[in-house]
Amino acid sequence: MVILVLLYTVQHLGMSSRRERLYTNVMLFVFRQMYLFNMLHPFFSLLCQKPILLQGHERSITQIKYNREGDLLFSCAKDTIVNGWYSLNGERLGTYNGHTGAVWCVDVDWDTKQVLSGSADNSCRLWDCETGKQLALFETSSAVRTCGFDFSGNIVMFTTDKQMGYHCYISFFDIRDPAQISDNEPYMKVPCSESKITSAVWGPLGEYVIAGHENGELIQYSAKSGEVLVKAKEHTKQINDIQTSLDLTMFITASKDNTAKLFDSATLEHLKSFKTERPVNSAAISPILEHVVLGGGQEAMDVTTTSTRIGKFEARFFHLSFEEEFGRVKGHFGPINSVAFHPDGKSYSSGGEDGYVRIHNFDPPYFEFEFEF
Amino acid sequence: GIPGRGGGGGRIAKGRYWCGGRGGGREEAGARGWEVVEVAGSNDLESSVKILLYLVTLVIFFSFVFIELLGDILKDQPLEADGIDSVIVVDNVPEVGPDRVEKLRNVIQKIFSKFGKITNEFYPEADGKTKGYIFLEYNSPACALDAVKNADGYKLDKQHTFHVNLFTDFDKYVTISEEWEKPEKQPFKDFGNLRYWLEDPDCRDQCSIIYESGDRTAILWNDVKEPVTIEERARWTETYVRWSPRGTYLATFHQRGIALWGGEKFKQIQRFSHQGVQLIDFSPCERYMVSFSPLLDTKDDPQAIIIWDILTGQKKRGFHCENSAHWPIFKWSHDGKFFARMTQDMLSIYEAPVSICYYWDFSWSPGDNVIAFWVPEDKDIPARVTLMQFPTRQEMRVRNLFNVVDCKLHWQKNGDYLCVKVDRTLKGTPGLVTNFEIFRMREKQVPVDVVEMKEGIIAFAWEPNGSKFAVLHGETPRISVSFYHVKNNGKIELIKMYDKQQANSIFWSPQGQFVVLAGLRSMNGALAFYDTSDCTLMNVAEHYTASDVEWDPTGRYIVTSVSWWSHKMDNAYWMWTFQGRLLQKNAKDRFCQLLWRPRPSTLLSQDQLKQIKKDYKKYSKIFEQKDRLSQSKASKELVDKRRKMLEEFHKYRERTMETYAEQKPLRLELRGGVDTDELDSNVDDWEEETIEFFVTEEIIPLGDQE
Repeated sequence: MVILVLLYTVQHLGMSSRRERLYTNVMLFVFRQMYLFNMLHPFFSLLCQKPILLQGHERSITQIKYNREGDLLFSCAKDTIVNGWYSLNGERLGTYNGHTGAVWCVDVDWDTKQVLSGSADNSCRLWDCETGKQLALFETSSAVRTCGFDFSGNIVMFTTDKQMGYHCYISFFDIRDPAQISDNEPYMKVPCSESKITSAVWGPLGEYVIAGHENGELIQYSAKSGEVLVKAKEHTKQINDIQTSLDLTMFITASKDNTAKLFDSATLEHLKSFKTERPVNSAAISPILEHVVLGGGQEAMDVTTTSTRIGKFEARFFHLSFEEEFGRVKGHFGPINSVAFHPDGKSYSSGGEDGYVRIHNFDPPYFEFEFEF
Repeated sequence: GIPGRGGGGGRIAKGRYWCGGRGGGREEAGARGWEVVEVAGSNDLESSVKILLYLVTLVIFFSFVFIELLGDILKDQPLEADGIDSVIVVDNVPEVGPDRVEKLRNVIQKIFSKFGKITNEFYPEADGKTKGYIFLEYNSPACALDAVKNADGYKLDKQHTFHVNLFTDFDKYVTISEEWEKPEKQPFKDFGNLRYWLEDPDCRDQCSIIYESGDRTAILWNDVKEPVTIEERARWTETYVRWSPRGTYLATFHQRGIALWGGEKFKQIQRFSHQGVQLIDFSPCERYMVSFSPLLDTKDDPQAIIIWDILTGQKKRGFHCENSAHWPIFKWSHDGKFFARMTQDMLSIYEAPVSICYYWDFSWSPGDNVIAFWVPEDKDIPARVTLMQFPTRQEMRVRNLFNVVDCKLHWQKNGDYLCVKVDRTLKGTPGLVTNFEIFRMREKQVPVDVVEMKEGIIAFAWEPNGSKFAVLHGETPRISVSFYHVKNNGKIELIKMYDKQQANSIFWSPQGQFVVLAGLRSMNGALAFYDTSDCTLMNVAEHYTASDVEWDPTGRYIVTSVSWWSHKMDNAYWMWTFQGRLLQKNAKDRFCQLLWRPRPSTLLSQDQLKQIKKDYKKYSKIFEQKDRLSQSKASKELVDKRRKMLEEFHKYRERTMETYAEQKPLRLELRGGVDTDELDSNVDDWEEETIEFFVTEEIIPLGDQE
């Protein structure tokens, strides 16, 4: 491996120059080319084990999420169903039925008791994880774009679209208070009139929500007062996804401007950038290694040819501190809409526009791979 | 005598390399300078432009008021020049007595009424005889002009040749000062060394790139590791840029004209005001520039095509343009001494005007003052390919061809060979047959050899400094490439043929020997790298959807690119070695164009070049050592950079982990005392579950109804 890494570095830097006119050593050249290929795409050879294909949706996947332990994987799609799966073998735990429109988001609380989902049918629903029973229905006036449990699992937050003359709101419910649920009256409703929220996550300790907007802006909203705590604008286009690190101290954004960026949760300080040539729909941070995975690809409406090559529907792996790409995984035949690392960092999953969820297990070389430094 | 108008525009162009026809273009001294707002205009400039605009508006406003008030009166006011414009003076008319005046009048009437109605005539007399010059007035100035144009130089008899001039010309020439005024010496502007880039110690090349859909233009050093930016400007050009043929100038296009830049800091060297300019072309010697604009052309004042002197910035001459489909309209001979232009049915070669009727296409030899053109078949006269030498106008070689549909002229870069690709119809067979007629220019009588091609030709290209050529032939998807060699005895040998090519273009290295076949655009950017010394395929690669291929001027590197102009996605340029090894992938946002800066031809003699080739081994050792050094330095730099990034990030992580540790009690409180910091920190609570794995090869649809 080390030899390969070394050769890759040399390749990457490029040999020069004038003397190349003098020698045409074809054999050496072919060998170099082989190394180059291997190193640029280590995953093609490293992921020997077949991925598990989850076929439980009829429409494109919108979000996937592991529970805290990682034994379960939840997926939602533009059909009306939310699915729960055993992540180890891909067996389905069950479905959460009730929505009547595309389901945009799903979340599970820390002790895997309750599942939350938000949909374009103008509702956000709370489910019993084990039985699939609907526990609560929060009705809204426009589609629910993102939702989430706070650290304690007692407060839920969801955001609604700016749509049909309605503003974009973040609503906060305390689900311990039955009155709030029965009256459908959140304890706090924060309007954001400027640009609608396209993704949002809870910060550490349930103190604030970090929201990504359609114009690329990041804003921290206090969960107590609703006021804006910190603002940052590092993206030029819509933020499609935000995912926190396992300890919630950092988060990664995925944007339509072809980049993913790493921020500090508390200060919104911009730490790292990961650049691609396609809109990034989702990005996740590895819980054990300094790696991130990016999923995305050309939007279906922008794809002009039938070739899958042009869309670049690959999951791409970057080193967290070096910002350098080191591997890609092919498989989906449409853009990847959501990626997630297993909490043990030994596998990851991706959900695509093609309607499939793929669970990939990493092979030993993935863990052995290291950059030279 | 009367100062003559003879020689047409020659007075203006004397000593230059062209002579215009009669009534040629008007000359303006100095380009009317336009105010170029400097890049990223400062506030001062902006405000001054505003003031200027304001003033202009004021002036226009007042002039409108003025015209409105006086317009009616002014309309009827006779102009001072009325009538005078229509008067011509005819000199060298026979001096006759009163007895023969009537006869003379008749002769004059006969000659001059051809150009229009003569309304007035005057024969000055002295001592009973006419004075030898007469005045004629036409009913319109256009007739007078026509008369001047056509009757000047009319031979009445052996002694009398008419000199015809406009009466108004007298004023014009009388006012010319008798004393010759010494032209004022222009201050010398020092732009530094305009060829500084040739002195780069690492012999790197420069290139220009345009990106962000044309908003940004940059000049780069091509470095092995990564490109080094020399200069980068926003809105440097409004459309695209061009290098002059020897690389001295960079031309940028603006609505109001062309600007030339050069020197180490790329300062503006010259500008040419030409509204709406779209195309330009340089003479090979970099002395003149031709620009084309579709706007502004009027009958009297040709503005469509203008020839400029680059050093002085002066407009040399304007031309009309009938057809801009063929650019360059002017083709320059290799040393810039002649230029030729094709018009509807005429080939005009300026300096030595020549007319060849019904010719179809022409091309200058890149090595000599030889022009090649072909004339299509006309009834019983066969099609002809002619080589003509200049300035002697001697026909070096004429070749007759039959049943010709089309000819294409391909010169080898040194002018050693000319290949004429002839498409012919054969009697009794449908479709076209293609022949290559190879002219060997360096031999006596210019012998011609023929290569017959059995398939359709997709592309043809000469090796720049050699005697080989490559041909792509066949029909998609069965395309083959053939390499031919023209031997000294005239035998044309097929060296090698490869079939199953995915290519539609041939790109020879500027140094010869190496060639890249590319399948651009619709062929997905397939690339094949060949060495023609032994005709081996060195590498096959691909740059998906590539639209352009550019060799660097030394033939060391080759760039493939996906231009935003042709494809809106994955705009980038990739750098390859001549062997086809990928060095760099440079993705630039909305990348448009990369152009290498050309190099002037070498000053070394053939012997010196030979000597260098002989000593390759000696040099290669030095270079190899240098490369190794820079490589180890580069990898060290990269490793250092990574180490630094890692350290910084780890420092940040340590800081946040401190806060994180401090907050542990808060976390425990929020989750009812359960420690969830680690995955296995609450193993006791775990429940055991038995799950099944499918081990058969059978595919079991998991998404079935439950």
